[in-house]
Amino acid sequence: MTLQDILLQQLANGLILGSFYALVALGYTMVYGIIKLLNFAHGDLYMIGAFLGFLVLSVLSPLIGDSWVGIMCSMVLSMIAVGLLGVLIQRIAYQPMLSAPRLSILITALAVSMILSNGVLAFTDGEYLAFSTDLGYEGLEFGNVFITYTQMVLVGAAALLMSALYLFVHRTMYGKAMRAIAIDKDACRLMGIHVNRIIALTFFIGTSLAASAGIMAGAYYGSIHFFMGFVIGLKAFTAAVIGGIGSIPGAMLGGLLLGLLESFGTQIPFIGTEWKDVFSFGILILLLVFKPTGILGRTEIERM
Amino acid sequence: MRKTLMLSAVSGVITSLFLFGQVMAADLKIGIMVPTTGSEATSGKDMENAIKLAAMEINESGGVLGMKIDTMTGDDACDPQQGTAAATKLVSADVAAVVGGYCSGATLPTLKIYGDANVPFVIAAANSTKLIDANMGNAYQINSTGFDQTATAVALFEKQGAEKIAVIHQGDGYSEDLAKLTRDKWTEMGKEVVAYEVVNKGEQDHSALVTRIKSKAPDAVFWTAYYADGALLIKQLRQAGYRNLIAVGDGSNSPKLLEIAGKAAEGVYCFSNPTVDYLPAAKDFHANYKKTFDQEPDAYAALAYDGMKLMADAIERAGSTDQDAIIKALGETTSFTGIAGPVSFTDKNTLARSNFVTLIAKDGKWTLSE
Amino acid sequence: MDRLDSAAPGNGDVAGTGGPLRWLESQKNRLIVLTFLAGLAMFLPLISNNYVLEVMTNVWFYVMLCLGLNIVVGYAGLLDLGYAAFFAVGAYTTGILTSHFGVNFWLTIPAAVLFSICAGVIIGGPTLRLRSDYLAIVTLGFGEIVRIIARNLEITGGASGLIGIEKPSLFGFEISQISHFYYVFLLLACLACFVSYRLQHSRLGRAWQYVREDEDAAEAMGIDRVAIKLYAYVIGAIFGGVAGCFFAAKMTAISPETFMFQQSVLILLGVVLGGMGKIPGVIIGAFALVLFPEVFRDLGSSRILVFAIVMLVIMLYRPEGIWPEKKT
Repeated sequence: MTLQDILLQQLANGLILGSFYALVALGYTMVYGIIKLLNFAHGDLYMIGAFLGFLVLSVLSPLIGDSWVGIMCSMVLSMIAVGLLGVLIQRIAYQPMLSAPRLSILITALAVSMILSNGVLAFTDGEYLAFSTDLGYEGLEFGNVFITYTQMVLVGAAALLMSALYLFVHRTMYGKAMRAIAIDKDACRLMGIHVNRIIALTFFIGTSLAASAGIMAGAYYGSIHFFMGFVIGLKAFTAAVIGGIGSIPGAMLGGLLLGLLESFGTQIPFIGTEWKDVFSFGILILLLVFKPTGILGRTEIERM
Repeated sequence: MRKTLMLSAVSGVITSLFLFGQVMAADLKIGIMVPTTGSEATSGKDMENAIKLAAMEINESGGVLGMKIDTMTGDDACDPQQGTAAATKLVSADVAAVVGGYCSGATLPTLKIYGDANVPFVIAAANSTKLIDANMGNAYQINSTGFDQTATAVALFEKQGAEKIAVIHQGDGYSEDLAKLTRDKWTEMGKEVVAYEVVNKGEQDHSALVTRIKSKAPDAVFWTAYYADGALLIKQLRQAGYRNLIAVGDGSNSPKLLEIAGKAAEGVYCFSNPTVDYLPAAKDFHANYKKTFDQEPDAYAALAYDGMKLMADAIERAGSTDQDAIIKALGETTSFTGIAGPVSFTDKNTLARSNFVTLIAKDGKWTLSE
Repeated sequence: MDRLDSAAPGNGDVAGTGGPLRWLESQKNRLIVLTFLAGLAMFLPLISNNYVLEVMTNVWFYVMLCLGLNIVVGYAGLLDLGYAAFFAVGAYTTGILTSHFGVNFWLTIPAAVLFSICAGVIIGGPTLRLRSDYLAIVTLGFGEIVRIIARNLEITGGASGLIGIEKPSLFGFEISQISHFYYVFLLLACLACFVSYRLQHSRLGRAWQYVREDEDAAEAMGIDRVAIKLYAYVIGAIFGGVAGCFFAAKMTAISPETFMFQQSVLILLGVVLGGMGKIPGVIIGAFALVLFPEVFRDLGSSRILVFAIVMLVIMLYRPEGIWPEKKT
């Protein structure tokens, strides 16, 4: 392989990884935008999505097989289920805490995250489950760069979900209400917007996007595990901050950028795979210190 | 201040209950140190079962020096901190000897505790080479160490005509140790290690690493860590079109690897300790184990079983439960043959012969290669 | 078997209307209990076996760590998800200095304090201006960075860590037995309690409380909020660092796996379970943390699950902790 081939292949790798990051980052950014909550449990909802998808698929596969049709059906079902779970969590754990000190709600979110991951740990005994599907390794070769059909479908699905979200937020009344609440909740209430209902809707969309990423990752990589949400949760948060937390296009951009940074990072001498995470977290810390609003975020006057 | 007092009272009650909960027992007490909770609980419980089975068999045929064996389990949870607690628990309960040790990291700090108490210790599974330096003379390793595995691995790569290899570990003590040994040995032989990489635990996407490795065009890739991440790596290597040899270390010796990696795992080599499936002498053990515990024995059951039998044998030969005598008898072992093969020790208290076998994945199952 | 459960109804009573613990309300009776407990802690090595001592030593160790984190989380109201990093800094300072350079153990303590302060200032200095939730993520990232550095460097022994760290000696007396370490850690825990108590009631402690309750008002009153937070951060770091030194000496072997994110979460659990910001609450939290897996061996794997559920319930129904502070 020539250097050019390597870089092109890394570009493809980065885009695929980045679209997972972007899907998860969207949920972070939406929830943060609307109630200023850093939802630590978001990565775990990604994991729950993968597990539910696995369950649904193992029930459905005798009927419709475990190829694309089966995966898509179980994806839709598990997105709805996890979205409802997200709303439930918001109602039980976050709603009563909205007026509490910031520290309390952060700890609550951490507790929810631990309950989800350790609950699955108790159920599965910490085992890795093999997520076996019918997806093959066939693909197209562009010069020396090889991309499987599965990868293309994954990136396509992610792009589709993200554009649907973008249209929803910018072209519908619900989307408008979401954006309005992010700016001033009390004014919205006075204007007759059902604030709680819109917040619930935001949670539903955000968590079901994470679930969609979870099940796609499960099917693509082939194994699921109770701890799989931790690393990606952290990376997706980094992506959301890079793009500017609270901004939906920012989360998409941030996700892709982080994916690319990580891919190319392994090619840089002295970083390699050993220092890759130090590199990503280092960027996060530097960004938070010097440009906490990210690339597309708005400057906030409020100090916390 | 009032609250302080009430709280102290409450904590006092808890603590004293905890204190008085400790009871003593008699007979020939043998400690079992394995992880029965935590991430490695499955393997640990399996070893515990095998040791108990051996003790039961010994008791049925008259015990050791006329005494019945009474086992006591200390849970190290595969964690150094809990390992020290488990070891002190066993030592305080005045066990005559200890059998067990699965996670090298958790076993390492306990060597000092057993050493100070001069308790004979047969390490059944843990095999990091770091254990050799920390051994105070009372512990014996009946599993071959990383040195032997490296030798087996290097021999395979040579036989397959590899010149350039890539070594990948997972950033924990065990897999880094094996990776370093292999890298050093391979370069010593005048050959080239084109990539020496680490994968972060829990990460799913290794595509960047795979591209990097592929660009270096190695003749063999050696994964020294565990099955879960190994399966993902194998899958992604094959997916990216890497067609040369892939080998995995004994931590990856699990049917789960084949299940997760699916058809990508076909033809992958694995270096393994003797497990019951490949030991002709283990037939009875296998049947007994299944009958007693209603499950299949796991990778380290045979070694754990041998460990208990060896300890009983050494106590018989020592003729008493005197600790120095048992340790001496262990060191002089020459004629003991367990289901995993004959046991004798080097002057560093490690197994004198290599017990590694090479497996290959065929039709979704591990089978003996050659 | 419900040894820990027996504490639960008691807790309710303290906050509620009385009951079995009413007896304790008289000053004299309480003094009796306290003296008894102090005596028990002092003379424990004489009456118990080494296993109990090992576990209790671990309890005192976590008391110290939790009290250190309590200064950051409980007093100053900053969420730190990477506290294990400071603990690692202390442990590795002692480990490296004693094993590579043959430095006397006691001399490594000031070095560890110095490094902990540096680490605290490096990470706290630029980030304490940030919103508190950003800070949580930055500290989490920092904790991971420290662990990965320890894993990758040659001097820290890589992933296998350092082994053969010398046990310390004092005036020719070698601290090697578990009963010695028991007293060392008991002393450290008492010292940590004392320092925490004094800090809480100092000028600085009141400033922390002010900043925690209302940052803007505090600043308007002339409190330099960044400096105040940095103090909390650095003092917490020193607690962790010193605890790390003694941890390394006791374990004689350390590896990066001890300092994973889960360790930070465990320490945080200890702080939150008994009620943040309150010394007795934090002590109870540390007790629960260590004794729970020893007593409920069968529930071992779901330990964190049980703790997390308790934590959620506490946050929802008793956000001020089990024993709310009396507002005067």
